Amino acid sequence: MAAALLGGCEQADNKNETVLTFSGSALGAEGTLVAKQLKQFMVLHPDIRVELQRTPDDASQRHQLYVQWLNARVGNPDILQLDVVWTPEFAAAGWVLPLTRFSPPTSEFFPATITANTWAGRLYALPWFADVGLLYRRTDLVPKEPATLFEVVADAKRTMATPRGPRFGIVWQGARYEGLITGFVEYLGAFGGRILDDSGRVVVNRPEAVKALQFMRDELYNSKIAPLDVLTWHEEEARYAFQNGTSTFMRNWPYAVGAMSDTSSRVAGKFAVSPMPSSGEPGGHSTATLGGAQLAINAYSKAPDAAYELIAYLTAPEQMLQRAQAVKQYPTRTALYSDKRLEDALAIPLDAVRRAIESATPRPVTPIYTELSEILQIELHRALVRQAEPQDALNSAAKKIDALIERTGMRKLMSMENTVPAVAR
Amino acid sequence: MKTISRLGHEARLGWTLVAPALAVIGLIAIFPLGWTVWESLHLHELRMPWLGQPFVGLANYVEIAKDPRFWAALAHTAFFTVVSITLELLIGLFLALAMNRVFRGRGFVRAAVLVPWAIPTVVAALLWRFIFESQGGIANALLVDAHILKESMVWFIQTATAWVPVVLADVWKTTPFVALLLLAGLQNIDLSLYEAAAVDGANAWWQLRHITLPLLKPAILVTLVFRTLDGFRVFDLIYVLTGGGPGTSTEPVALYTFNALLQNLRFGYGSALSVVIFAITFGLALLYVRGLGVRLGGDET
Repeated sequence: MAAALLGGCEQADNKNETVLTFSGSALGAEGTLVAKQLKQFMVLHPDIRVELQRTPDDASQRHQLYVQWLNARVGNPDILQLDVVWTPEFAAAGWVLPLTRFSPPTSEFFPATITANTWAGRLYALPWFADVGLLYRRTDLVPKEPATLFEVVADAKRTMATPRGPRFGIVWQGARYEGLITGFVEYLGAFGGRILDDSGRVVVNRPEAVKALQFMRDELYNSKIAPLDVLTWHEEEARYAFQNGTSTFMRNWPYAVGAMSDTSSRVAGKFAVSPMPSSGEPGGHSTATLGGAQLAINAYSKAPDAAYELIAYLTAPEQMLQRAQAVKQYPTRTALYSDKRLEDALAIPLDAVRRAIESATPRPVTPIYTELSEILQIELHRALVRQAEPQDALNSAAKKIDALIERTGMRKLMSMENTVPAVAR
Repeated sequence: MKTISRLGHEARLGWTLVAPALAVIGLIAIFPLGWTVWESLHLHELRMPWLGQPFVGLANYVEIAKDPRFWAALAHTAFFTVVSITLELLIGLFLALAMNRVFRGRGFVRAAVLVPWAIPTVVAALLWRFIFESQGGIANALLVDAHILKESMVWFIQTATAWVPVVLADVWKTTPFVALLLLAGLQNIDLSLYEAAAVDGANAWWQLRHITLPLLKPAILVTLVFRTLDGFRVFDLIYVLTGGGPGTSTEPVALYTFNALLQNLRFGYGSALSVVIFAITFGLALLYVRGLGVRLGGDET
């Protein structure tokens, strides 16, 4: 639909015209918004024509498609929509251009969103919108935001014990998939642990990490505030449970706000969001896993300058506000969070969202993230279903990640931090 | 002289006539297989172009041999194959014997029995997943009502219980196929043998052991070949039902290979895995044909 619309603007033969292809989410309200913004951009830049190239909305399918195209050195689409964990992979592979030469206004974005898009000291993509892990809570049951994870457990137990209280204390995403990592990263930060340290060493089997994993396990088997079902759950199952009023707390992404504010929702007007709290132990801090989409330029693009123009336009404050209004996605620019218009657009107290984004933490910024994540998913799941003890599972994960780093030549790549990998042109 | 040249001419004509067919086989079977073997001797990671594509000899195969996850996957596959085929053969034989009797509506029953077989595996797997999935699911409700379970359980988080829906789904779906193959075998048995046995005073059990089963052996072996090779390639059912979990404790080799090849885009290693699976299934087929004397088609014993 949108592609046809844009294609319609085509003029007979305009030799000076630059043609750009843009690929990104193009479904439903988001598709309408993107089509509208691309049209506005073309009005401002009559010499550039933008075509929309459809890609699957499923992240891993889109990833696979991109990788195949880029291996074949295809210059289309000129602009790629990257998931937050892909940027280092694409950068190290030489598939996207460093944006340094365009001097993007990096200081205007939340630092975590810039870190996530930086590889070997260079920025490779601009954050388009941010996703952050949030703690949803039933305000009618727990009016006060819990300050620590231990308070979450106490509140959950209390509400479960009240007559006709909810059946579950907390629900999260515990199936063996990427969602399990996003939840783990939040508990990990709450206890002051990390997966990789700044020099890229594996630290996921340190005591803080073991405590974090043990805490998640205790929610299942000890305090029993989380049902064992969560070990097979993704985002939607958790949302159903919370939306039906069966749980006091929920860990989920911002998208759930919209669905649950609907009048058919049993919890409409009775819930609030906040960042996941710290454990309260020394070194621990409130942590929200960073997700979201980035825009990058295909290294084989024939029109990188025009491509950057479009990226700059789409990530400008005005367009981010439109996005917040149309599809409730969070802007990545700091200044917008003191803008009244954003509060109106998101229809949710801005303070909580800002605090969540300020505590946003990227998952390990490394080109081998996908395989690292797979290793960790398996070991975390093994610990949570009690096939292994947390310490053993994390030791095993650390050993396998080390082997992965070795096998993929990551150490060499990381030691060349300053010498940027050659971009194949 | 004349005859020889004429034979040569005929041979040439013969080759010319089969050439298109040979070309097609070469193109769609031998060429990809050769390429896979070639890939398997290289380091080729689509996601990591900085590694290049060096020739690494048998390094990928060495990595497979050293990978406990591969051996575990092989064990899971073997376990799944043996358990599900045993059940399918037993139940299938029972069904075939029942369907072989003369009764009203036999044609209808024979057709109806095939329904599970006709449902696409992914759809069947989703159905079984739905039945077993939640604590309020159908399986839990039935078992609690029947006092078999004290309380609802989560089937997919323990290895032993995660296998239950997997095996059940496969048995449910494939038994009709097994039954039909066996039924065809049963119908080849000469009824006069039973009449003679009955005259001699042999009971039904004796007839089953000494007439039916021996004469059904070819059909049983053909079924075994089909089902073993199918079982060894099991993918979609487990992909949908357990995703190989909890952890990786129900992961079959096909899922592991899919993961290496299409998720992690490790073309070299994934190709090596494919070659290994090919070798195993080929070996199994050979074993059946040579060792057990299965005749795929041709005359009956």
